[in-house]
Amino acid sequence: MEGMYALCVGLLTACGIFLALRGRSFSVVIGLTLLSYAVNLFLFASGRLRLNSAAVLGESQQYSDPLPQALVLTAIVIGFAMTAFVVILAMRARADLGNDHVDGTLPKQPGDTEQKNGGNA
Amino acid sequence: MLNITIIAVAICICIALILNLWRLLKGPTISDRILALDTMYINAIALILLYGIHARSSLYFEAAVLIAMLGFVSTAALCKYLLRGDIIE
Amino acid sequence: MNSLIWLPFLPLLGTLVPLLSAHLSRTACAFLTAALPALTLLLVLSHAGDIFQGERFHAVIPWIPAIGLDLAFRLDGLAMLFAILILGIGLLVILYARYYLSAKDSIGKFYAYLILFMFAMLGVVLSDNLIQLWFFWELTSISSFLLISFWGHKTEARKGARMALTVTGAGGLALLAGLLILGNTVGSFSLQDVLDNGDLIKASANYPIIVVLVLLGAFTKSAQFPFHFWLPNAMAAPTPVSAYLHSATMVKAGIFLMARFYPALADTNLWFLIVSLTGLITFLVGAYIALFQHDLKGLLANSTISHLGLITLLLGMGTDLAAVAAIFHIINHAIFKASLFMAAGIIDHESGSRDMRNLNGLWKYMPYTATLAMVASASMAGVPLMNGFLSKEMFFTETLHQASLGSLSWFIPVLATLGGVFAVAYSMRFIHDVFFNGEPINLPKTPHEPPRYMRVPVEILVAICLFVGIFPSLAVGDLLFAAANATLNGPAPDYSLAIWHGFNLPLVMSIIALIGGLLMYKNRAHLFKFQAQFPASDPKLVFESAIQWLTRQSQALIAWAENGSLQRYVFFVLAFAVVMTASSLLKLNTTAGQRPEIPLDALSITCAVLLCISALATVIWHRKRVVALITLSVVGLIVSLAFAKFSAPDLALTQLSVEVVTVILLILALFFLPQKTPKESSPRRIVRDLSLASLFGGIVGTISYALMTRPLDSISTFFTENSKTGGGGTNVVNVILVDFRGFDTLGEITVLGIAALGIYKLIARMRLFMPSADGNGLAWSEDRHPMLLKVISQSLLPLALLVSAYIFLRGHNMPGGGFIAGLVTSVAIIQQYIAHGVEWIKTRIKFDYQIMIGSGIGIATLSGLGSWVFGHTFLSSWFDYFYLPVIGKFELASAMIFDLGVFLTVVGATMLILANLGQLTTSERPTQQEHE
Repeated sequence: MEGMYALCVGLLTACGIFLALRGRSFSVVIGLTLLSYAVNLFLFASGRLRLNSAAVLGESQQYSDPLPQALVLTAIVIGFAMTAFVVILAMRARADLGNDHVDGTLPKQPGDTEQKNGGNA
Repeated sequence: MLNITIIAVAICICIALILNLWRLLKGPTISDRILALDTMYINAIALILLYGIHARSSLYFEAAVLIAMLGFVSTAALCKYLLRGDIIE
Repeated sequence: MNSLIWLPFLPLLGTLVPLLSAHLSRTACAFLTAALPALTLLLVLSHAGDIFQGERFHAVIPWIPAIGLDLAFRLDGLAMLFAILILGIGLLVILYARYYLSAKDSIGKFYAYLILFMFAMLGVVLSDNLIQLWFFWELTSISSFLLISFWGHKTEARKGARMALTVTGAGGLALLAGLLILGNTVGSFSLQDVLDNGDLIKASANYPIIVVLVLLGAFTKSAQFPFHFWLPNAMAAPTPVSAYLHSATMVKAGIFLMARFYPALADTNLWFLIVSLTGLITFLVGAYIALFQHDLKGLLANSTISHLGLITLLLGMGTDLAAVAAIFHIINHAIFKASLFMAAGIIDHESGSRDMRNLNGLWKYMPYTATLAMVASASMAGVPLMNGFLSKEMFFTETLHQASLGSLSWFIPVLATLGGVFAVAYSMRFIHDVFFNGEPINLPKTPHEPPRYMRVPVEILVAICLFVGIFPSLAVGDLLFAAANATLNGPAPDYSLAIWHGFNLPLVMSIIALIGGLLMYKNRAHLFKFQAQFPASDPKLVFESAIQWLTRQSQALIAWAENGSLQRYVFFVLAFAVVMTASSLLKLNTTAGQRPEIPLDALSITCAVLLCISALATVIWHRKRVVALITLSVVGLIVSLAFAKFSAPDLALTQLSVEVVTVILLILALFFLPQKTPKESSPRRIVRDLSLASLFGGIVGTISYALMTRPLDSISTFFTENSKTGGGGTNVVNVILVDFRGFDTLGEITVLGIAALGIYKLIARMRLFMPSADGNGLAWSEDRHPMLLKVISQSLLPLALLVSAYIFLRGHNMPGGGFIAGLVTSVAIIQQYIAHGVEWIKTRIKFDYQIMIGSGIGIATLSGLGSWVFGHTFLSSWFDYFYLPVIGKFELASAMIFDLGVFLTVVGATMLILANLGQLTTSERPTQQEHE
């Protein structure tokens, strides 16, 4: 199970990073969301995987490590706040700069007609 | 008896989830995909309940309640997007 | 012990004196400035008796002992010798500068720089800690920069100072690297430990690196070939500075470093080769160049280079006697060179020129100064009865005992004699060209004797030259012996300081040097003609162009690396992270650890497959943004299922609710962003990014696997054991959040609130483009609020609020809590926004979300402060059990008030973000539709 878990974490990380390296803000946001899934899973796994041992006293024989869980719980919420911030920043950048490229300017590509300001109106 | 039932149900859910994924990937329209996602939420509810029964623990049932409730919101939001573009107006 | 600490710090205090007394008369200022260094000198001398007995003083003030950082000073023979030179010559320079500087120059500033430099030099020689030594070393570079550039209005002063700083500063960085490796090799940054572990260092694999780096520092400071060019250019400094920095102190710091680390680093072939060859080349090159200088100070500067080369050569010879000779020559050179610089300064000051082609026959005008200068240059040339003769004699003796170059070893004495010939020739030139050789040509002033007291420092120094030269044992015997002992970190060998050793080979070499030098000077016209054939090369220009080339290169590098593309920066950051993590993973021997793995089951595999395929689908379809959003939701769902499966119900609940909120946020954003991403990455970039991403994923996966398969020694048992008794709750995760680590949570909800407020500000006055049709060009539906959605949503609200309250209340004991309840509540409210629109809500929900965030954080903080009222620490919780009819026994805990704060903040923040984002469009939308 641990191997599979690690594989999933690795894959999520790779997908997240690939998307975070894209040029358009929405892809970057999606990538960051994937990356934050991976990070949360990764942090959670630092308490090791356990079945049927929720950290609720009296509910099970043994308890999983509650500390990473508490950390990840806040990380998830903060992660949402940060995603929201990036999203709004991306929108603001589009509103002010007229495009949604992370660099603020569109890369020069001859013969590309779709890249005018305002997207696909 | 219960164990056999659980295994049988688990297999059913597995198949259902894979079929959901198939529909989600295949599409062809966005509505198909949203529908597949919504069905996946329902299967997830079943999965969690099944896991709770298997583990003889009621700790996970709230998760099922939440999926039932929030999954609807997420689907509704996606549908509203298809309909009007802006979901809060 | 205590007075030792004061040694360097008295001068530091002294830097203030000239600044405060500058408004007094120049003489008063000079005397007041001299007071503290004089006191320091007395303090040093008060230790002399013990030092001569072979004692060594240490003083340590621990600072961060764990990483070897202490304020540590030592006073041994070598340190004392240098301290005496620094303070003694420093005092003479203070007196001299009083007369040298014109009324235009700010004497207070000059003295302050000078004393600062004195402090730095004392720090270098007294340091007993490697890092501290380096610190003072760099301080000498910086303070010498200030001194050399004292006449900042002159271009050459600025350029010379910059060059000196660049060369010595760069050497200083090499030295730092060398000292760090040295300290790590020894395992201690204490100088004494390093000196005592010479064999360990020499056996270490790092030894060659250490030697090269440390010597780079020493050679740049001591102007050794090929770094010698900065010294003549630093002659743009006022002459007192040259007399101080370039005779006795700054350039000797490099020599000091070699002497200091002599027991630790010397005595190997590597050391011998580098040090002796560098010294030999510098000795010859400096002497040769010195002969052809027309500038008086240029001659002295190059002769200084040559003499420094001589001392370096001695230190590289590897015999104890050579080290003694080196120490002796340090003393002698400092004395005669300081007096010569001062004499040159007097000549410059009283005649207005330093050009030896114009300065002639000054004997008539300033016979007294001329006599002093002649004695001093005779010492420089190595004439008997002068101190220079003694150490040069020792030098010649040592060159004869060299066998390190095998059958070529005879080269060393021959070349040494050749250097001696040049030394005699340029000393002769200094005397004959300036004081005799006809009449002065076109001097700006008529030369005359300097003020009485300006000559005093020169007189003192020349007297010492003679005294040492005639009664060497009496004059410096004890000091030399103590310094040699300290240098060798052991007993010094037997040596004799007598003037007459009988008629032997070294004496013959001296005689050859004297006669050869005189002959060479006599035939200098031919030599000058020969030298004139070479194209004139100014090291200053070469250096400047090198610096400019470097600047251009670094500008090009910056233009390449910092081209304003965030995409590129992210790539760099991630690539660097890969390199850093991968390098440490390489040291991990096995990936899998000892911990047994949980067996796989079909359901988990199915979920994992779902997760992987959805993640990949998100990547593949990231340009179709809505589809990517849907696949992303699947990933989020599976992640929360994973949390549920691996015993983290709280996380599952949180992840689920955040998931929904995120999706709503992204859909909201998507409306204002292009629906599709254009294809614009080049195949090369895609391959590059793919490889980086897979590498990163692989590394993270490996770490994760290695981590999970290793046994855990967690601190969490404390939390599980005390959760019920200390926090009054059975849900340990929640108790940690609101009780044990409540302060962290308080910080986190504050961050959440700040992020929400930041977003609120960003949303304000945002002008957005809104598409009038969907991605496929179909017009939007006319039905703004479908009836079915309205009805279902409205009935959902009370249900969701009930669930939310339930999750909130039971949070302390069962999975749930303020975070999750807050998210559920916000989702329920947002559903109303979606179904009914902003206007409908506005009439029903009247409160302000910003106030909600504020009150949430306020309540959480107050619940923490509340414990102060009861005399407990911040955020410690209270709980008790109560009984009510019908409901039964229930628990009240102060932590629940804290959790209420969390709840309010989460609701407020989420709603502030989403509702405002939705609200933004409401006023704009109708105008858009009118255009359709």
